[in-house]
Amino acid sequence: MDIGPYFVPFPNLREAITNHVAIKTQARSCTILPNFVGVRFMVHNGKDYVPVTVTQDMVGHKLGEFSHTKKRFTYKATKNK
Amino acid sequence: MVHILGVNLRDTHLARFALTKFYGIGHHTAHRLCARLQIHDKCKMKDLSPYQVTALASFLSSPSTSPPLPRYPLASSSFVPPPPNKSVQELQNEFNAAKAVRETKKQKRVETYTVKENTYVDPLKELRIESELRRMIRENIAHQRMIGSYVGRRHAMHLPVRGQNTQSNAKTAKKLNQLDRY
Repeated sequence: MDIGPYFVPFPNLREAITNHVAIKTQARSCTILPNFVGVRFMVHNGKDYVPVTVTQDMVGHKLGEFSHTKKRFTYKATKNK
Repeated sequence: MVHILGVNLRDTHLARFALTKFYGIGHHTAHRLCARLQIHDKCKMKDLSPYQVTALASFLSSPSTSPPLPRYPLASSSFVPPPPNKSVQELQNEFNAAKAVRETKKQKRVETYTVKENTYVDPLKELRIESELRRMIRENIAHQRMIGSYVGRRHAMHLPVRGQNTQSNAKTAKKLNQLDRY
């Protein structure tokens, strides 16, 4: 049985395309559909909302793939002592 | 030594293992290839007929455009071989009669139901080997990197992509996860 991709409906999608308003979402597992192209999303990465602009090539991937949850380790010298 | 598409296959190896020398052919695919060209299980590379070698080369050079596999019908479980002293003429007549019966049955079936189109899918139609497969992998990595996904980023950092530990080891990923792998 073919179930199809998982996605979350965004009721404000039409408005976001016309007015270029970013959609704030926590649905990282939502598949990017062809009608999302050109929309700006603010995708939650567990801490804050990362801006993601959807392009044609991203169709079929998940929103969370473009909002990284880890940052690279950088060594900071301790101030005291 | 047998050379097929620039790959040297050892004479002393069994055909179904020698074929795994190709990049992109594992044991399963090698088995399917042997079945397709009717190469038996114990056949060594040196025992292959020239016809089989050329057939192998022509198939592997472009699997997607190769002619479709002929389908040979098998005898049913109730088949009884005719007695050996029967004349050829009689056998031919019987065969033609059976064929006519089969045809009429098929006609009836077509009239009553809509017969499904041939649903058989050639498992080796999508086979990609050697440079073609390498190019596909390279393109996939480049695509991931271009759109800026997590997978592409991990490839650029030479780190495992699917959540494996990196505190120690991760040797395979450090070796293989490159932006220009091949």
